[in-house]
Amino acid sequence: MSLEPFNRLVKLAARAFYDDITMKGDNQPKTGRGDNRGIAVVVLDALTRRQWVREEDLAKALKLHSKQLRRILRFFEEEKFVTRDHRKESAKGAKIFSAAVAAAAGDGRGKEGEEKVKLHTHSYCCLDYAQIYDVVRYRIHKMKKKLKDELDSRNTVQTYICPNCAKRYSAFDALQLISYTDDLFHCERCDGELVAESDKLAADEMGEGDDNRSRRREKLKDLLQRIEEQLKPVTIQIARVKDLPVPDFGTLQQWEVRASAAGWRGYGEIDPNDANKSSQGYGGTPMPSLGDTKVEVDLGGGVKEEVQSEGKPTKAKVLPPWMIKKGMVLTKEQRGETSLDAEATTQETTIDDKKQADLKDDDKSLMDEYTKAYYAAYYAKIQEEEGGRQSVKQEEFGVSASDQDELFGTQETSSHRQVGMKSKRRNAEASYKLAADLNMEAKESEEEEEDNIDWEDG
Amino acid sequence: MFFHIVLERKIQLHPRYFGPHLREKLVSKLMKEVEGTCSGRHGFVVAITGVEDIGKGLIREGTGFVTFPVKYQCVVFRPFKGEILEAVVTMVNKMGFFAEAGPVQIFVSNHLIPDDMEYQAGDMPNYTTSDGSVKIQKDSEVRLKIMGTRVDATEIFCIGTIKDDFLGVISDPGAAS
Repeated sequence: MSLEPFNRLVKLAARAFYDDITMKGDNQPKTGRGDNRGIAVVVLDALTRRQWVREEDLAKALKLHSKQLRRILRFFEEEKFVTRDHRKESAKGAKIFSAAVAAAAGDGRGKEGEEKVKLHTHSYCCLDYAQIYDVVRYRIHKMKKKLKDELDSRNTVQTYICPNCAKRYSAFDALQLISYTDDLFHCERCDGELVAESDKLAADEMGEGDDNRSRRREKLKDLLQRIEEQLKPVTIQIARVKDLPVPDFGTLQQWEVRASAAGWRGYGEIDPNDANKSSQGYGGTPMPSLGDTKVEVDLGGGVKEEVQSEGKPTKAKVLPPWMIKKGMVLTKEQRGETSLDAEATTQETTIDDKKQADLKDDDKSLMDEYTKAYYAAYYAKIQEEEGGRQSVKQEEFGVSASDQDELFGTQETSSHRQVGMKSKRRNAEASYKLAADLNMEAKESEEEEEDNIDWEDG
Repeated sequence: MFFHIVLERKIQLHPRYFGPHLREKLVSKLMKEVEGTCSGRHGFVVAITGVEDIGKGLIREGTGFVTFPVKYQCVVFRPFKGEILEAVVTMVNKMGFFAEAGPVQIFVSNHLIPDDMEYQAGDMPNYTTSDGSVKIQKDSEVRLKIMGTRVDATEIFCIGTIKDDFLGVISDPGAAS
C-alpha cells in the first residue's frame, strides 16, 4: 500500500481546483497582504506529508495563524478532503498523541509532549484519501456534464423560477402553470409571473440574444476542451489510483494505537522503517514539526540514509534467488536515488542476479567467466549510474523547486494578480506538463516491475 | 406509439338491461367508460376493437347491479421519449408553444426551438425565422421529437423539441390560405 500516487492526486487536485481559493476574513481589509490565495494548496501539500496531525502543530509548521489554518481546514472539511477530530484532552492525552507522532516519525523526539497543555479542546486533522478520490472524480464529472449538457442543449427540462417566492417549476409543470388570462406562466403559490431560469455559464458572460448563440456554443466547446486538456494530469492520476488500495489511517484513536505500537516495535529492532510501518502506508517523511521546504530536502537525505544502512549487507554477498524479492529494495545501486528511477534500475539487476543464480547450477567454469564479465559490466554500469544520478537528481529537485516556485510565486505576486492572471495559468499548465512527464516515467518503471515478476514465476 | 393490447375491466350493469340485448348494452357501456381515458401504464385508450370474453356476472347484494368482468382488445397510444410525432400547435407564448398530438399535450420550450427562430408578440404570437420563411403559430402543424414524458396515474404530458434535423413546421396554414 503506497501513499505516493494518492499524495500526487491530492497535490494535483489542489493545484487544479484550489489554487485561487481565498479564505476571506470577515472584516479583513483587502490589502495585498491579506490576499492569501494559494495557502489552501500549501496546507494540502503539508497534509500529504503527515498522517493525523494536531492543528496547532500544523499551524506552527506552516507559520500560519491557527485561526487562519482552521478556516482553511473547515473549508476542506466541507469539501470532504479532510477528516477532523476534536477532543478535550489534558496534558496526558496530548502526550499520547505526541508519542504516536514520534513513533510514526521513527525518532525518539517527543518534544511536543513536554509542552504544557491545559485541558481544552484540541483538533486533529487528516486527509481522507478514499473520499478525496471520489470527490475529485465527482467534481470533474459534474464539470464536464454541465458543459456537455449545455453544449448539446440536453438540459432540456427547462426550469422556471418565481421571482417573488423563489419556487421552482420544471417544464413538465407547464400545463398547470399556464394562465388563461395572459398565456404566461404563473406561480401556483403567489401568482407571480415565472421567468425561465438560466443557469448557463456562457449566457452569464455575454447577454442573451440570438446572434450570440453560435458564439456561445464555440465558447463552450473551447471551455470543454480546455478542461479536458488542463485536467489531464488529474484524470491520469485518478485512473492510476483506481485499482490501488486506498490508504486509510482509521480514526484518530485507532491511528494513535497503531502508530505507537509500530513505533515501539521499531525501537526493539534497530531499523526504524520496518515492514510493520510501511504496511501502514506511510511513504513520506513523517516529521510534523518541520516546515515545507525543509521536509522536501530531508526526504532525499532520509531515504539515502536508510538505504545505505540497509544496503551494506547486500553488497557483501549475493542473495539467493528466493530472497530476491526482499533484496530488490536493498541493492546498492539504489542508494541515494528516489523511488522511481531506483525501482527501474534495481529490476534490471535482479534479473541479472537471477540469471547468475541459475547458471550456478549448470556449470562452474562457465559461471566464473560469466561472473567476471558480469562484474565488469556491473562496474561500468555503476560508473554510468554515478554520472547519471547527478543529473537525475538535479532534475528532480528542479521539478519540486518549480512547484515551490509556483506556490510561493503565486503568493508573492498576488498583488499583481489581476494583471498577471493569464501568465500564472500558463505556469500551472507547465507544471502539469512536468508532472505528466514524471508520470510517464513512473508508468514505465511499473511495467518493468510487472515483467520481472512474470519472469520469475515462469 | 400505438399498441393493440388486451385489457380487462369490470363493468356494472343495471338490471333493467337484462334481456335480449344485454351483450350489446354491455359493450357500449364499456366503450363509453374506457375510450378516451388515459392510464399511466398503458397510455391513452383510443378505441376498442373487439370483446374477447365476458365472464360470469356477479350480482351485487342490495343494489341488484351485476358486475361482469370483460376482456377486450383495444388500441392504445403511449408517447415515448425519443419518439417523433406530428402535432398541432395550440398555443404560443414567449416561453415556447403547446401542441397536441391526438390526446397528448406537448410543450416545446423556447430553448428547444431552433436558434434562428424568434418570438414575435402580437395578436397572433408566433416564432419566425429571421427571413420570415418559416412561422410557427396557433394551428401550425409541427413535427417534433419527445424529449421527456411525465406520466401520472391518469395523465401523460410531454416535452418536445424541434431543434433537430427534419423537425419543425410541416405545412403552414397561413401560407396555404
